[in-house]
Amino acid sequence: MKNALKKVFKHWELFLVIFLIVECAVFGIANPKFLRADKLMNSVVNYISVCIISLFVTLVMITGGIDIQAPSIIGLTSIIIGVLWSDAGVNIWVATLCAVIIAALCGLLSGFFIAYCGVQPMVVTLGGSFLYSGLALLVSGMSATPAYQGISGFPNKEGKVYTDFRFLGKGEIFGIPMQIVIYIVLILLCVWILHRTKYGERLYLIGVNQQAAEYSGINTRATIMSTYVLSAVSAALAGILLTANMNSAKYNHGASYTLAIITAVVLGGTLNTGGKGSILGTVLASLIICFLRYGLPICFNVDTQNLDLPVGIILVLVVLGREIAGQGMLSGLFKRRKKKASAA
Amino acid sequence: MKNLLKARWMSSLIFLVVLFIITGIVDPSFFKYSSIIGCFNNATMYTLLAIGIAFVIMTGEIDVSIGATLGLTAAMTGLIAQQDGSVVTMIAVCIGVGALVGLVNGLGVALFGVPSLIFTLGTNGIIRGLIFLVSDGRTVENFNGTIGAYGNKVLFAEITLFYTIAIALVAIAHIVLTKTRKGKYFIAVGDNAGGANLVGINVKSTKLLAYVLCGMFAGLGGFVFASKYGQVMTVAGNGYEMTAIAACVLGGISLSGGLGNMIGAAIGAVIMASISRLLVFIGLPPTYDNTITGIMLIVIVVVDALAQRRSIEMSRRKRLLSRTATSATEGGLEA
Repeated sequence: MKNALKKVFKHWELFLVIFLIVECAVFGIANPKFLRADKLMNSVVNYISVCIISLFVTLVMITGGIDIQAPSIIGLTSIIIGVLWSDAGVNIWVATLCAVIIAALCGLLSGFFIAYCGVQPMVVTLGGSFLYSGLALLVSGMSATPAYQGISGFPNKEGKVYTDFRFLGKGEIFGIPMQIVIYIVLILLCVWILHRTKYGERLYLIGVNQQAAEYSGINTRATIMSTYVLSAVSAALAGILLTANMNSAKYNHGASYTLAIITAVVLGGTLNTGGKGSILGTVLASLIICFLRYGLPICFNVDTQNLDLPVGIILVLVVLGREIAGQGMLSGLFKRRKKKASAA
Repeated sequence: MKNLLKARWMSSLIFLVVLFIITGIVDPSFFKYSSIIGCFNNATMYTLLAIGIAFVIMTGEIDVSIGATLGLTAAMTGLIAQQDGSVVTMIAVCIGVGALVGLVNGLGVALFGVPSLIFTLGTNGIIRGLIFLVSDGRTVENFNGTIGAYGNKVLFAEITLFYTIAIALVAIAHIVLTKTRKGKYFIAVGDNAGGANLVGINVKSTKLLAYVLCGMFAGLGGFVFASKYGQVMTVAGNGYEMTAIAACVLGGISLSGGLGNMIGAAIGAVIMASISRLLVFIGLPPTYDNTITGIMLIVIVVVDALAQRRSIEMSRRKRLLSRTATSATEGGLEA
């Protein structure tokens, strides 16, 4: 029994799959409405920013870094698109492209300081989160629309069908929301990058031992920097989808996602010291959190504003369980106690 | 080593003074006793949070749940105040709840070995939920009694009572860390946990103690919050953990542990709290607040990292040079 438990915790993705199935079963029994496909997909759409960014933050954390600036880049992208489109009169797609490029530059800047100046990732991205959210606020000041209102009225729909920019946020392909389609494409892309390319292998090696990676001929600095650019671009993507979905460009979109993103990544089994983790784990963890946030209110009448509590409890219990089962902590404790007893 | 430490908090003090002088040059009306003291008084809450988390950061761990702890204790203070509770009860509850949260964090991190960022993220969520349960999802306000009066109480020379207490705590923490045996353990554990273990320091209990202290300071911060603002929303204290970490970084405390001191953390807290105030004097709108904070933080840590790397390289070069010089003379003797 104990060995079986150990095995399950060792194969973390397996544990997450079991958890997800149990979760769906429990919610499904409590309220059959939970299992409706469109509702489930909608719950992912509501949390799409965290889902997408956590994919790429996984890459960052595998190299042993951390990225807490991504949420501020969501807001920055959103407001840049809004201001360029509505106040400067730029074509919406050109504006979107500009926003992505600026986000990539933001990632490049932070990545440069981390990789080439050797500053701790947490500190730089903490500074980055202040800086980019501040910039977003300044950009929103250039607009004629008051900052708190948000810029709206993006290229909308013809008849009943969403087209153009808003198709990204509201459109459907064969009944599947466009955002989910993009999410699936990004998952496949990330799996390919991390598990099928040399670049992915390098990320793991850097996370295990940066010096060894450097000596084996990998340009570790450029590689580390590139992960921050990737995560910034993913944040830009999330910002675009959020803007298109809500039909509003605001400087503080996604400001509260910092801890949610890290939660999804670490619950997915990625070590924050680097060298271990997988995209599958992150995806499963994001889905677990999505369904929790959607299922608890409709099945067990939990207040929608108080969803941090269950997510926090699950995170704490799961990581504690992993440490206890994975390292044989319990047996270790008893052994030590026995030794002490015999010494006394 | 001691000189380096001294230089680290001295440089943040110099930075603070330069900030004040620049503000004063742009707007001479800033050079008044009351405006400068105002900056310090304003920093009370951040000072408490920063010295609390400094204990944890020095041992090489991190705690992102202190903002939530502050919110929880503030909400509890408010609830007690609504029922005409005494101030002593409030402070006791604040410190007690804070210590309890710290104990849970410490047990998870030190005893069970969960990475500190992950564990405190989890407890952060739980405490946020508890705030919601305690306050019933509503803003806690309409306090009875005298608690509001304490927030603005001036002790002497325009320094508020709370800031005096905070400074006293900074001084005590500094003396404990630098002069007592147990206090030196915090730095030792953060510098090299394995080495500390070998010389007989109990690493786990030191980390546990650091978390409990951190929670207690966050609890005190919650009391200050409640009496300063007179109302506590469910999102109270959101993001304060990041500000406190930034304050520690500005004060020269290394996030990898084992380096830094309390005076630095206190100065960092004043810098973080003063930015928005100084911007008003300089004439920039408060929308520049985050941008300036971000630029300042990044510039300081990058310059610090480059200077440190330079000093390491210089000392290595010196060592290499001296080695080649001695081997050359040895070679000469052999010849």
